Amino acid sequence: MSQTEHDVIIIGGGHHGLTAAAYLARAGVDVCILEGRHEWGGALYTAEVTAPGFCHNIHANFMEFLHVMPFFQDFDLPSLGARTIYPEIQAGIAFKDGRPPVLIYRNDMIEETAKSFAVYSKHDAETWRDLKTKANQLELIVSAALYTPPLKWNQGETPPSPLLPAHNLFSLFGLDEEMAFKSVRDCIDECFESDEVRALLYRVAIEFAAPSLEWPGSGYFFLFACLVMPGCWRMMVGGTHRLNGAMVTACIKSGATMRESSRVRRILMEGGRAAGVELVDGKRLMARKAVVSAIGLKDTFLKLLGEEHLSPYARRRTKNFKDGPDQVLGSVAMALHEPPKYKSAKWDPGIDRAWYQVVGYDSAKDVLDYCRAGHCDRIPELPAAAVWINSLWDATQAPAGKHNLTGWYFFPRASALTEAEWEEVRETYNEKFLTLYGEFAPNMTRDNVIADYLHTPLDQHRGMRMREGDFGHGAMSLDQMMGLRPFAGASHYGTEVPGLYLAGSCTHPGGGVTAACGYNAVKVLCEDLGLPQSVWQNPARFY
Amino acid sequence: MGMLDQAFDAVIIGAGHNGMALGAYLAKSGWSVAILERRTEEGGGLCTEEVTEPNYLHNLHANYHSLFGICPVYDDLELLNNGVEYIHPAVQMGSIFADGSAMTIHTDMAKTAASFARFSQKDADTWMRLWDEVSGYLDLMVRTLMYAPPIALKDLTRALASWGVEDKSEFLTARLRSMSVVEFLDKHFENDRIKAMLAFHAAICGYQPHVRGLAVSYPVLLGKIANWHVCKGGSHRLAHALMRVVVKAGGRVFPQVPVTKIVVENGRAVGVMTPDGFVKANRLVASSVDVHQTFQTLLDQEVVPAQTLKDVAEVKYQEASLFNVHLAMNGLPRYKAAAFDPDIDRAWILNIGFERLADFEEEFSLVRAGKLPKVPRINAAVNSIYDPTDAPAGKATGLLRIFAPFALEDGGAEGWNKAARAYGQACVDRWLAEMVEEDQRQLVRRFATETPLEISQKIINYRFGDWMVGQIHPKNLLEQRPTKELAEYRTPIQGLYLCGASQHPHGYITFAPGYNALGIIAEDLGLDKWWEQV
Ligand SMILES: Cc1cc2nc3c(=O)[nH]c(=O)nc-3n(C[C@H](O)[C@H](O)[C@H](O)COP(=O)(O)OP(=O)(O)OC[C@H]3O[C@@H](n4cnc5c(N)ncnc54)[C@H](O)[C@@H]3O)c2cc1C
Ligand SMILES: Cc1cc2nc3c(=O)[nH]c(=O)nc-3n(C[C@H](O)[C@H](O)[C@H](O)COP(=O)(O)OP(=O)(O)OC[C@H]3O[C@@H](n4cnc5c(N)ncnc54)[C@H](O)[C@@H]3O)c2cc1C
Repeated sequence: MSQTEHDVIIIGGGHHGLTAAAYLARAGVDVCILEGRHEWGGALYTAEVTAPGFCHNIHANFMEFLHVMPFFQDFDLPSLGARTIYPEIQAGIAFKDGRPPVLIYRNDMIEETAKSFAVYSKHDAETWRDLKTKANQLELIVSAALYTPPLKWNQGETPPSPLLPAHNLFSLFGLDEEMAFKSVRDCIDECFESDEVRALLYRVAIEFAAPSLEWPGSGYFFLFACLVMPGCWRMMVGGTHRLNGAMVTACIKSGATMRESSRVRRILMEGGRAAGVELVDGKRLMARKAVVSAIGLKDTFLKLLGEEHLSPYARRRTKNFKDGPDQVLGSVAMALHEPPKYKSAKWDPGIDRAWYQVVGYDSAKDVLDYCRAGHCDRIPELPAAAVWINSLWDATQAPAGKHNLTGWYFFPRASALTEAEWEEVRETYNEKFLTLYGEFAPNMTRDNVIADYLHTPLDQHRGMRMREGDFGHGAMSLDQMMGLRPFAGASHYGTEVPGLYLAGSCTHPGGGVTAACGYNAVKVLCEDLGLPQSVWQNPARFY
Repeated sequence: MGMLDQAFDAVIIGAGHNGMALGAYLAKSGWSVAILERRTEEGGGLCTEEVTEPNYLHNLHANYHSLFGICPVYDDLELLNNGVEYIHPAVQMGSIFADGSAMTIHTDMAKTAASFARFSQKDADTWMRLWDEVSGYLDLMVRTLMYAPPIALKDLTRALASWGVEDKSEFLTARLRSMSVVEFLDKHFENDRIKAMLAFHAAICGYQPHVRGLAVSYPVLLGKIANWHVCKGGSHRLAHALMRVVVKAGGRVFPQVPVTKIVVENGRAVGVMTPDGFVKANRLVASSVDVHQTFQTLLDQEVVPAQTLKDVAEVKYQEASLFNVHLAMNGLPRYKAAAFDPDIDRAWILNIGFERLADFEEEFSLVRAGKLPKVPRINAAVNSIYDPTDAPAGKATGLLRIFAPFALEDGGAEGWNKAARAYGQACVDRWLAEMVEEDQRQLVRRFATETPLEISQKIINYRFGDWMVGQIHPKNLLEQRPTKELAEYRTPIQGLYLCGASQHPHGYITFAPGYNALGIIAEDLGLDKWWEQV
């Protein structure tokens, strides 16, 4: 590879970096994207971590934005290999004594969900019918909010409060605006009365980005994580990494220069501008127009750039940016002879085919206690999890007749435990989980497990450079959302350093496979580089 | 539109390096190409995974690349401009012997000779003559023996005879065709350890040293003894580069699309079936997988001539597969034997345990009996010595390989599931025994194993864990590989070609089966060659 100068250099080949690379390259910009690992896609990661032929999505699994994702549409990713499946039963919770499960169906199957809720509460069924119908109607507004850069903030102005749009959203749902000040738990408790329904929604809420169940002012996540997202989840055929495959193909086709195994160690400044990068092997690559960083905030500003290039304000805000909610994900993977058969299935066999299966909790309180452990830097005593068995829908993900279970525990942040303590967790926790699992699904015995694996937050921190194991590259708490992400002065993708842009999950809208951070950064870059809006505009979309 | 709803000029089964190279040439010729791969990742044997810990890159399969600089595909497809970087270790190979002595093979042959001379001056001199001779005809031999369709053994010997080879050459004789590597070495060398070192080179290339007839290509093999290369950042990068070439040229690679059937109409291959449905091939289907799968599973038995099926059923696989141990380590190993030869600490491919030619005989007869040697004989490699990017700063990645039976006497192939961990530990212990004391205690952080059974499950064309996809035996080489009828990459089914390791010359990262199939296809379909066929 001899070319050492490009128009734009992108740091980080996660899905946001790839998004930016594809759009810019297609617009004729000479783009080079650099990925530190030997593999592309960052958290779009699938590996045979248990046994040959068992594909496990160790990181992202639920694709909740594909149907609204501009990158997906504009580059026809399905034609490049991104095939999807849309499981009917999206989520469910099973119980130890075999009482009926609670199930959430797809967006287009509201009645079925209501029927399942009604087993425990007619009121909850009615509430779901009402709120989910509204959530579906609001899809366009939510999408536009995701795929539009926050307004530009100028120093001296009052920082934009993410609470304002949250208030508005509550009123659009017909709920009292002041609920935006409440915690997710309070919102769930206020809207739903059944303990079983609450248990499921608690778990779903923290899984899908709520920083905490119990922090006041996070009510917004109730709308998003409990009402909007469940029902939208698509599965990638062959594993999440196949979405990466299609994105990479789109980048190559568009003419981007792609260099994996190329870790950046420094952003080079020249004449007060970000002018290029230096790789760990000392090679230098120069950027004529922009350096776009699609990795973590602290890595960008403190490690690669150096705080001496930041204003005291930016330095302060960067250092105080929170990595990780207090509880982050550990991933469990098991190669199975047969899929779990829950006791609760005798009431509704749907639980055995729910995509996201919550297992190990017998009450809403169990979920609360579980989440609190993370906040106290403890490993939860109750070894519960949420799991999925993708091979039930996609036979190519496991050897013939076998099954690939993958799932998530909630653990404290990577730094809460020592390396030796994590090692101990790795050696012992799956076994504890399995013992508990057997009480909910009697066929989940050791004999049913061909091999198993546990990926700790420390692995996450080291492998993917997700600090603290934070899957969102920065806690998604209200103080770090929208116009405040990563902080007011950097929320518009451009930074105070001329020529340096942010395009990773540390910007709005944050973690999750949205391809929005990269897309929004492209919008801003087009403006700054004098490229036409047609680079990203699509007549079928207004955002 | 779904990704496979269109028709392609060529549909290729398997995205290993052979399938992707063939696809790349065809796409660059203007054809529409789809390469379908059953696994989640493209690359086949070019797979690099973090099986021990994050940031430790392990090449599960093809670790040693021996044809860079020789094989024309690298230049034709501009692989170096597409992200491949190779490192050529200065100390290529080494042996550590039980008495604490060590031997090293360097890219600098004078240093190799000096190392040999510590064991036998006579052999060192012989080696230099052999090396010089081989270097003289290596290029020619590689090109005629590898990067061209197979020539018959008798034609080869006839050509050599008419060239008057015995007068011109000390080592090349028409008699090689009936000799084993062991016999060749015994004939020319005197020192046991030098012979063991050279036989070790043959063994890791899949040539069992005592098999009669294999000496015929042994000089060519020796000519590559100092051409081992590390693919920087992991072998999988070569797969990335190939994929980029394919896609840039307009072709497509579709992982996780297993081919379940080759569809034949009126004696012609017209496409393939996948779980996504039918994929139409306008001009050809090329299979890069093993012949058993191609002919017994993918094709309807009625469309294949009975004789073809009979011959395919006879194709044999290697007796010895590999048991692999992948290590995450706290640093580079330091061997006790460095006191004898300091270069051993920088030797890339290491032999620990083969001390004399008879050891190979013993090793392979154990393998045939389904047994594991009590004290493992190891082929070890620490890529991080030359490529520190394959592990976190200051740490290292390691590989131990042992020739191993597919089916164990105790429990058959499934027996590996029980035996793997303990045998892995035995291999690690055997290796650590060669280290200085401090390393023995703290070098290894964690290890992961891959058994022959797992190899065959991960990449199903490695039947019985055979990484060569067909025995390396005179009966299964050259114009007889995989069968006489199929040796020319064509099949009795019109429009169906074979382009993988089952074909001449054999497995390994050679690109040769794909490249040679390309030549035949170009001939059959009147393709304008934009490349210069060697
Ligand atoms: C366990 C887990 C489960 C998740 N589940 C879901 C889910 O179900 N649904 C969902 O939508 N989201 C999920 N997410 C979140 C989602 O996957 C991430 O938020 C998203 O993929 C982040 O994308 P990114 O491009 O910002 O960053 P990443 O995917 O982290 O990519 C950043 C890339 O930059 C590279 N890099 C870092 N430093 C350097 C450097 N110095 N030089 C060069 N390259 C560098 C990294 O190697 C990495 O490839 C999950 C995440 C995790 C970890
Ligand atoms: C343990 C081990 C160690 C090795 N070490 C080395 C080494 O050091 N150096 C070296 O050069 N070589 C080494 N090899 C050998 C080398 O990896 C192979 O010989 C080589 O990769 C063969 O290349 P190929 O392209 O012919 O086939 P492959 O690389 O095997 O590619 C064939 C592809 O076809 C796919 N496939 C199979 N069936 C189907 C189907 N029905 N539909 C779609 N796709 C299908 C497979 O998944 C695979 O990806 C090693 C192999 C092993 C197993």
